[in-house]
Amino acid sequence: MRALHRGLSNGLLGAAGFVALLEAAPRLGLVPQRYLPPASRIAVALGEQVRDAAFWVALLDTLQTWATGLAIAVAAGVAGGMLIGSVPLLRELTASTVEFLRPIPSVALIPLAVLLYGTGRTATLLLVVYASFWQVLVQVLHGVADVDPVARDTARSLHLSAWLRLRALVWPTALPYTVTGIRLATSVALILTITGELIIGTPGLGNEIAVAQTSGAVPAMYALVVVTGLLGVAVNLATRSGERRLLRWHPSQRVAP
Amino acid sequence: MRLAAIPLSAALLLAAAGCGGNSSTGTPTPAAPGQPDKVAAGVIAIVDVAPIYLGKQKGFFSGRNIDLTLQTSQGGAAIVPGVVSGQFQFGFSNVTSLILAKSRGLPIRMVSNGVASTGKDGADFGGVLVKADSPIQSAKDLAGRTVAVNTLKNIGDTTVRASVRKAGGDPATVQFVELGFPDQPAALAAGRVDAIWVVEPFVTAAKAQGARLVASNYVDAAADLTVATYFTSQELIAKNPDLVKRFKEAMAESLAYASAHPDEVRAVIGTYTQITADVTAKITLPAWPAEINKASVQTLTDLAVQDKLLDKAPALDELLP
Repeated sequence: MRALHRGLSNGLLGAAGFVALLEAAPRLGLVPQRYLPPASRIAVALGEQVRDAAFWVALLDTLQTWATGLAIAVAAGVAGGMLIGSVPLLRELTASTVEFLRPIPSVALIPLAVLLYGTGRTATLLLVVYASFWQVLVQVLHGVADVDPVARDTARSLHLSAWLRLRALVWPTALPYTVTGIRLATSVALILTITGELIIGTPGLGNEIAVAQTSGAVPAMYALVVVTGLLGVAVNLATRSGERRLLRWHPSQRVAP
Repeated sequence: MRLAAIPLSAALLLAAAGCGGNSSTGTPTPAAPGQPDKVAAGVIAIVDVAPIYLGKQKGFFSGRNIDLTLQTSQGGAAIVPGVVSGQFQFGFSNVTSLILAKSRGLPIRMVSNGVASTGKDGADFGGVLVKADSPIQSAKDLAGRTVAVNTLKNIGDTTVRASVRKAGGDPATVQFVELGFPDQPAALAAGRVDAIWVVEPFVTAAKAQGARLVASNYVDAAADLTVATYFTSQELIAKNPDLVKRFKEAMAESLAYASAHPDEVRAVIGTYTQITADVTAKITLPAWPAEINKASVQTLTDLAVQDKLLDKAPALDELLP
């Protein structure tokens, strides 16, 4: 507990130091204020943003795109991973394709997304789902492959039904992997949501950043960038705590006495 | 802005493939009796489109049974595929982009004027600026120099070349580099380029950091140049000419209102951009005449051909409204 407290206070100290640097560097003229305003000026711009209804609409748009994309990716990744992982033939047939498709950077699909879906939310969703789907799928595949062979053979000799084997054996083994995949996917999904909004122009925080940029409103632009950063931190904290709760029983989550 | 080229090529691909996208969405759902037509228009969140925002606010569209939704895109060229595929019923794009799209066979047509140069040398909403201590004194001195434009092979470089040509310099020796408008004042201050071509609010921003205006390229290119227009797909014109007519009337009223009420224009700009009120008060507003200056569209076409942006000029009577 004491270590946790110290870690937390050191973390806050570090953040405060960073803010102080961000305040001092422009004020001392180390970087031009016009292009990197001091932290206090960004904070004022942030205050103006949160009083603007359009900001909250954009925030909700971003969250909606992110959550929708993530939900689709997780559902498809888990279902696909369980199916492919449980059938050795399917796994062998898809391995090369998965390894080919997975490394394609999602942003490379922007022209395709715009071609198929224009500049609406669906185009950004395509990017989000594509990027986060692989994170989940690959982790689930690893999880399914990790089932203890002795336990698997035992289940088979006991003639457990396929459903029971999946539920009582494969799922608990794969769950820690799956949760890791979901945690990776939440961050990736947020990155791709903001990217899609910024570049394609889908409504949301990314688009607001682009509008602030084309308006020459530099402090407002930084304020919105800060908001996306805070969003990333919040999402990460939420998934971490969800992970702890879901995997309470798992050795990796036990706190050393 | 740089990415704007990608959706355009995507649309060209679409057109080349002979599938106009989801054409069933090309026309808005026929309005039920008493219900207004739902119309989406693709615009860019810049000063130029203030009249359509003002017109929507004043009810010029709803009064004509048009339920208008304005969607912002990152660039004019990104809107062209949106209109062709039917995602937008109307769009806003600069004239050179439309000429290029038309020359590649995209089924589009202008419907209304969008924005025009003020026609006043030294007091236009766009221009070429240099550092205060730069040896460049006029457009002629731009020869052999590096000039930043937001998009290569578009309205920026062709009209800047026109400025250089008019001033007696050799436009072929001007080096253009692509750089987004927001990044240009910083690039000029850092000496990464010799001159920048920007539009408001970045003309004001660059001047505030000491930059000096050397040419009003829109003014040099043609008298009262039409810079951008609203356009639609030929499909919509064929299927719902009444809606196109009503949109056109609403736009005419919006443009006239914007021309007559600059203070309200400055106020509405703050509602859809992040331009701060103190900057909005200072910027030079463009002109919003009711009619497209057809002679200037011809001039831009000639410039595009001269600068080899396209091989063959499109039939302008099929592009003009």
